[in-house]
Amino acid sequence: MSTFPRRTFLKTSTAAMATVALGLPGSRNLSAQDASPQSPPRDWPELPGLPKGWRSIRKLDAHNHVMQGVHKPGADWSAVERTVEAAQVLGITKLFCSRPLTGGVMAPIEAVRDANDSVLAAMKRYPGLIEGYCFVQPGNGREALDEIDRCINLGMIGIKLYNQFKYNDPAVYPIAEKCIDVKIPFLGHSAYLTDPKIKATQPKTSNALEFGELATRYPDLLLILGHINGGGDWEWAIRTLRDFPSVYLDTSGSVLEDDAIGLCVRELGHHRLLFATDQTMEGGVGKILGADLTDEQREDIFSRNFQRILDRRSK
Amino acid sequence: MIVDVNTFLGQYPFRQVRCTTAAAMIDHMEAHGITAALVGSLHAVFYRDAQRGNEELLEAIHPYPDRLFPIGTVNPLYAGWERDLRWLTEKGNVRAIALMPEHHGYRLTDDHGQAALKQIADTRLPVVLTQRLEDRRQRHHWDVAADLTQDDLVAVATAHPTLRMLLINWVGLNAEKLRAAGLRGRCLIDFARLGVVGTKDVPRLIEVLGPESIAFGSHMPFDYVTASLVKLANVAGLYADDFERIAWKNAQSFFGLPLPLKG
Repeated sequence: MSTFPRRTFLKTSTAAMATVALGLPGSRNLSAQDASPQSPPRDWPELPGLPKGWRSIRKLDAHNHVMQGVHKPGADWSAVERTVEAAQVLGITKLFCSRPLTGGVMAPIEAVRDANDSVLAAMKRYPGLIEGYCFVQPGNGREALDEIDRCINLGMIGIKLYNQFKYNDPAVYPIAEKCIDVKIPFLGHSAYLTDPKIKATQPKTSNALEFGELATRYPDLLLILGHINGGGDWEWAIRTLRDFPSVYLDTSGSVLEDDAIGLCVRELGHHRLLFATDQTMEGGVGKILGADLTDEQREDIFSRNFQRILDRRSK
Repeated sequence: MIVDVNTFLGQYPFRQVRCTTAAAMIDHMEAHGITAALVGSLHAVFYRDAQRGNEELLEAIHPYPDRLFPIGTVNPLYAGWERDLRWLTEKGNVRAIALMPEHHGYRLTDDHGQAALKQIADTRLPVVLTQRLEDRRQRHHWDVAADLTQDDLVAVATAHPTLRMLLINWVGLNAEKLRAAGLRGRCLIDFARLGVVGTKDVPRLIEVLGPESIAFGSHMPFDYVTASLVKLANVAGLYADDFERIAWKNAQSFFGLPLPLKG
């Protein structure tokens, strides 16, 4: 058996993103000359099975997360740093992140603000790379709307809802109306769960039909069905979305099944698809590279479709 | 050169998959720069008599002896499985033996599983353990197979100290536990569901189990091959010295694949 030098994990400088040092004794290091937020490593070998220059294609990750509470002094930033490193390596230009409260918890507004403060801290630490979604719970009522105002005024670009309420619940309507008023996207956690045990653990997760009901009520809402491959029957979700043409969907999730992206394009058209990873970063990039797409379609999905959504607010 | 250790051939009962023939699989591999693959039979997973699936697989890949290398599948609950195992080893020229306990109705740790693992160890072929074929959250209501667990994996690794293992489509592996179970040097793990950057599953496994423990795997035809190719591209950038081992040499030595493979 060969002796392999002990490897430390990739470590990112916590200073500006222009300086990145990946400590991998005995292996290739990514240096400031290799990469910056806008320039992935230039001299890494190409593989014949991937499109040439794939790392340099502009990519906006429309669904990602700040995985830790990082806004308090002495916070552990390692999970955020790993996400940032991965983005650099993969040529992801911007990460649109939220920090939802999960587990079916309906938390007080203070906990919601605390979660959003971590996203704001990450935006401050990685300006130009990390952008924010404001997480809200409709059950917080007026305070949820105030939290949207606070976060948008501090530079966030949209809102993220998790599974505290079904999206066809009237409690969600004021949130949707707020999004229309300020022209921001509404990204929602989704799944059509077929496993009864898993479904029982998140009974208020919305499926594509419930997204459709919200979209029908609010045709001007910039509604994004989160992670088409985030678990659940994605074929059912895609078929359902045919009937709701105003709903966008993001491509993220840990399921990397062929030919999910191709089916989305054939059934829904590529303009409704937004590249995203939801932390499955290599696979998330890889499945867009592997789908049967024209170069123009691929670039639209990687960045232009979402950019058009972001640009609506400035018009 | 790339060798893919995580591929299947055949139809899947619960959703449409592409590349269900050997010829289509070869075309798909060539389009993605993959030279050779270890391939298991999906039909052997779902037929009552797994051996019929093995026979179909061997016939299907016969035209591609230097590209597609068979993995046999045995069901230790079915009549004649020991005879099938001998035939696969002596006549079928398979490179490994797969067990699918969840689909065939036993556990790795029960008497059936233990008997199969012992006999596979006696053949000196590796056993192939697939944690899952697809995500439980989208399962068909006839699909009741649970994911294999690391606890069972560790238990059988400890109980069969000479048995080599190909672990495909796993996630959440604890490298220290695998090492404690004596798997360093006798397991090969594919990264179809693991991360090189981001989650950094692969660096952790390399650190503890060595670069000889990692191999390229795509989970074809279920998954996009390019998802794993992106990970391999990151291996090429970050682990240049070990790239060829992970891309193909580990698989070649683990399974004794004949040289030269055409690159």
